[in-house]
Amino acid sequence: MPPPPPHRPTSTSTPSGKGELAELKTQLRQLAGSRAPGVEDLKRELYKKVISYMTIGIDVSPLFSEMVMCSATSDVVLKKMCYLYVGNYARVHPDLALLTINFLQKDCQDEYPMIRGLALRSLCSLRVQNLVEYLVGPLRSGLKDTHGYVRTVAVLGVLKLYHIAPNACKDNDFPAMLKELIHRDGDSQLHFSFVSGGIQFFYLMNNEHMIYMIKDFSEWAQCLVLEMVAKYVPEDPNETFDIMNLLEDRLQHANSAVVLATIKVFLNLTMSMADVHQQVYERIKAPLMTLVSSGSPEQSYAVLCHLHLLVMRAPVLFSSDYKHFYCRYSDPSYIKKLKLEMLTAVANENNTYEIVTELSEYAANVDVAIARESIRAVGKIALQQYDVNAIVDRLLQFLEMEKDYVTAETLVLVKDLLRKYPQWSQDCIAVVGNVSSKHVQEPKAKAALLWMLGEYALEMPDAPYVLEGFVESWAEEESPEVRLELLTAVAKCFFRRAPETQKILGAALAAALSDAHQDVHDRGLLYYRLLQHGVETAERVINPPKQAVSVFADTQSSEIKDRIFDEFNTLAVVYQQPSYMFLDKEHRGAFEFSDDTSTNASVTESSETMLASQSVDANDNDLLLSASEKEDTRGNLVSNGSSSYVAPSNSLIDGLGSFTVPPAASSLPTASFAIDDLLGLSLSTNSPESTLAQPSLVLNAKPALNPGAFQQKWRQLPVASTEDYGLSSQAAANLTGPQPLLKHMQTHLIHCIASGGQAPNFKFFFFAQKSNASTGLGYFLVECIINVTARKCTVNYKTDESDLLESFAAVFKSAILNFGV
Amino acid sequence: MNCMFLLSDNGEVMLEKQWMGQPVDRSICSWFWAQNDSRKVPSVIASPTYYVFHIVREGITFLACSKTEMPPLLGIEFLCKVADVISEYLGGITEDLIKDNFVIVYQLLDEMMDNGFPLTTEINTLKDMIAPPNIVSRMLSVVTGGSSNMNTVLPIATTSNWPWRSTDVKYSNNEVYFDLVEEMDVIVNRDGFLIKYEVYGEIRVIARLSGVPELTMTFANPSIINDVSFHPCVQFRPWETHQQLTFVPPDGEFKLMSYRVKKLKNTPIYVKPQFSSTGGLCRVSILVGIRNDPGKQIDYTTLEFPLPSSVASWDLTANHGNISSSPGSKTLTWTIGKMPKDKSPCLSGTMHLEKGMDHLEEFPTLLVKFKIMGIAMSGLRIDRTDVRNVTYSPHKGFRAVSKAANYEIRT
Repeated sequence: MPPPPPHRPTSTSTPSGKGELAELKTQLRQLAGSRAPGVEDLKRELYKKVISYMTIGIDVSPLFSEMVMCSATSDVVLKKMCYLYVGNYARVHPDLALLTINFLQKDCQDEYPMIRGLALRSLCSLRVQNLVEYLVGPLRSGLKDTHGYVRTVAVLGVLKLYHIAPNACKDNDFPAMLKELIHRDGDSQLHFSFVSGGIQFFYLMNNEHMIYMIKDFSEWAQCLVLEMVAKYVPEDPNETFDIMNLLEDRLQHANSAVVLATIKVFLNLTMSMADVHQQVYERIKAPLMTLVSSGSPEQSYAVLCHLHLLVMRAPVLFSSDYKHFYCRYSDPSYIKKLKLEMLTAVANENNTYEIVTELSEYAANVDVAIARESIRAVGKIALQQYDVNAIVDRLLQFLEMEKDYVTAETLVLVKDLLRKYPQWSQDCIAVVGNVSSKHVQEPKAKAALLWMLGEYALEMPDAPYVLEGFVESWAEEESPEVRLELLTAVAKCFFRRAPETQKILGAALAAALSDAHQDVHDRGLLYYRLLQHGVETAERVINPPKQAVSVFADTQSSEIKDRIFDEFNTLAVVYQQPSYMFLDKEHRGAFEFSDDTSTNASVTESSETMLASQSVDANDNDLLLSASEKEDTRGNLVSNGSSSYVAPSNSLIDGLGSFTVPPAASSLPTASFAIDDLLGLSLSTNSPESTLAQPSLVLNAKPALNPGAFQQKWRQLPVASTEDYGLSSQAAANLTGPQPLLKHMQTHLIHCIASGGQAPNFKFFFFAQKSNASTGLGYFLVECIINVTARKCTVNYKTDESDLLESFAAVFKSAILNFGV
Repeated sequence: MNCMFLLSDNGEVMLEKQWMGQPVDRSICSWFWAQNDSRKVPSVIASPTYYVFHIVREGITFLACSKTEMPPLLGIEFLCKVADVISEYLGGITEDLIKDNFVIVYQLLDEMMDNGFPLTTEINTLKDMIAPPNIVSRMLSVVTGGSSNMNTVLPIATTSNWPWRSTDVKYSNNEVYFDLVEEMDVIVNRDGFLIKYEVYGEIRVIARLSGVPELTMTFANPSIINDVSFHPCVQFRPWETHQQLTFVPPDGEFKLMSYRVKKLKNTPIYVKPQFSSTGGLCRVSILVGIRNDPGKQIDYTTLEFPLPSSVASWDLTANHGNISSSPGSKTLTWTIGKMPKDKSPCLSGTMHLEKGMDHLEEFPTLLVKFKIMGIAMSGLRIDRTDVRNVTYSPHKGFRAVSKAANYEIRT
């Protein structure tokens, strides 16, 4: 066959494409009626041409009637090509499909079983609704055909019919016919197709019957049967063992799909029997390992994902098999990543040394991503507290490798390590002190280094001078995270070594106050005022005594892992996410956030960067409750117990977390304090707080109100006033999620307690408190509903301070109208 | 599974097969190709609309889409099967072969899957239904003026008790060959310690036997095997009770079983690399030799040496075999061939590092390849095979070969 001409897929519109089609059309017409010898060969060539056009994406549907006319032939290959063509275009042109019915029905009575079968298959594959009536007859006779092939096709045909017209299927008694067939027909091929076809009808059929026949099915059908068995709940333990004994040899099947399906059955059946469940793990280990080493790379990967899941769930059971997770040089990086995670998980007292040795070899790996990953793995193992001594040495060796990315990763780890094991500080600090700050470029690493400089200022002789270097290049520092950390580090250093650091702190504060980034500016202002208030107070807030972190928050909650585990042998395992996280998304439109998905959504969001208290939810009451619950759990998880304050770097703001301190005065008189002179600061007169304060109303900078109390107040108080504001187009454009507005309102001392919604509709609950108010009083509560497309904002105010409401409303209005400007 | 595409090595759609009512638009292929930029995409990914499975064989991408959740291995296994079948039918998988025979490929895909679920994937059954495009049938079609390349005989295997075998196989010379193929998976660390040594083995069989023979195979030392997996034809009970393989073989070539042997101790060869670098110069010496003589010739020995990126030029010589390098990949290949018994091949010389580099910062990993014919490194031995249920006594042949598949030397 000549190779197809290089047409572009759209070439139907080009003249040459049209010309060729017209030519084919006339040629086919000429051949249709001809009975000359050799005409079949000519037809075949033409058909091939048509199909090759179809294959490369050219629309050849205009030839439909000619193709059908030519199909009256005894040549099987011609028939097949014609069926292929018809099958491809009938769906798009149901009117044309009618044309083919006749000749397909005729073929269904052909003398050759092959043709009968093929015709029946094509007929069923047309799947055009209005042709259902033509299907029933051929299907019925197909099921009774003398040849197994035709019966097989017919069974699948019934399934296809069921998809387009379930009623027609039931009306014609097909389910009963299928049931009868399976008992009567000894044909293993048919059993198989029966199962794949019939599974949808007889889902609840006697499973056991199927299990006993499992060996007669094809490997694919076995997968389906096993899938069914996995959902079966045995009546008593004996039945469980019977099933497992029966299926045990399936673990040695050459087809990995069968093995995995069997493993799923085993795991599901023994879920409630802890000891047997353990034995199952032991039993399935070897087959899984064999699959990993036997199959193609693609199979290995999928099996490895499942193995990964099991290892994460029961690391102890795999701790002696750690060598299987050693990375090969030639493994693609996604496989290496999985293996690294498994190595990390299975580390225990006995194998830590070897695993860490192995991981250290990867640190010198050519693949930078993997080198980083392996250093992180070493750190994770260290945090699991096995044999820390050796690991600390390794980490410190990494620092001596003098590769920028290795140093960067290691610094972050050493920082975490010190937070957990302060007792190692001497060894670590000695080495970290030698790290030249010039070699540290990455923001995270810089922040880590700064944290250590601040925290261990006493142990590192040159800490103030290194910090000084950083402060001098403040303007060049791009990452706000680093600037924040630098500020804190300088402050901490100041508390420890005041004489040397005093100047630097002044410079740092000055730089922070004129910083363009809101958070840096705010923190600078906060420190400045704290220092004004008194150095001891400031130290108490900025640098309180810390407890060693016992547990770091895990990235994936165990609940999610459990969910994935329930979905063993599904795609969820490969994605390492439960199916609701990716399955729903594609069907989820902007407004399809129904109540039952909302809980799922909040899990998704909170696992990302969103703060739990701001999770997406539509239901107000639920939202408030769940927010307060989550607050509690979050408090337990996040090590340093930072409360509802939003800061860009959760891990590094140790001192700042404790904002339960009584409200610090936000509007201090601007008279210059002694500390100003001390630090050599001169604040410009138009410092931001003067614009914040409205004449008669001064808001508390750090009001305390927990979601429960908010909810109670909200219920008690009547709506004091309702107003509508129009938003600017910039504001609407900025409001892609709740976060920006929250941050914005916070700068106006109005705090958000809960928010939710999806573009274009958002809902927020804000609150504020007037300063100097006695505890539990002087609150302003606001419900704010924003529609971004209409650029409209509806605000409901409630307050127990009704005489100040007007001025608060003015503050709120100006705040919200300033958003995005 | 909704559909399948075959993509050539530049992303062009060569073939499209839809199995479900709703056709999948082929734009998914260009989406996939955009993702697949570096050819480093995991074999299962999620597109915005479909789950996309793919495997790559000889540069051809087999791509399948599914709209619903399904066992991932079902998809991947099926694609592997399709690739195997096509390659068996066409004698390989290349763009030209597929384009020349696309009618056959369409027919195969039609029989292998229907309504989105695998149907007939046994190659022997398929061959009964669709004749492979061999030279004979091509000749025939030329001579007789076009008999079809499809059997009009009934596909008998679909009704036999052994779906993998048709009942009326006839040979004038009955013969069966067993190949023991073992692959070594070895990691030697920087200090020369063996940290991992495993053997993965397969028994491949070529059976040309008439009738329905039942074969039994016993091993001299089955206890060394760690884990096994079998072709569906192997009966489970005899293995459980006597570690004995009993099976009715498929016709032709197939993989009877695969196994794993763990915790082996003695590698046949040693590799001693030494790198010492100072002042921008790196001295290299790699010594290779026989450690434990397996008793057979170690052949086809090669050593791949990926050059660290900081190496600017090299000047290396070997006292045995020759060194070649491919300019693009920065990998040296040292071909030793037959391992000499009287001396140890040595590669030595210097490498110049790039300007500004004082010493080597990356540690290359050496990959060793070799083959040993006539021996199974795991030590597994086939004791005897019996053929029953037939009147003839066939010719039996046994072979063994060990290969270094993943033999890594870290430096």
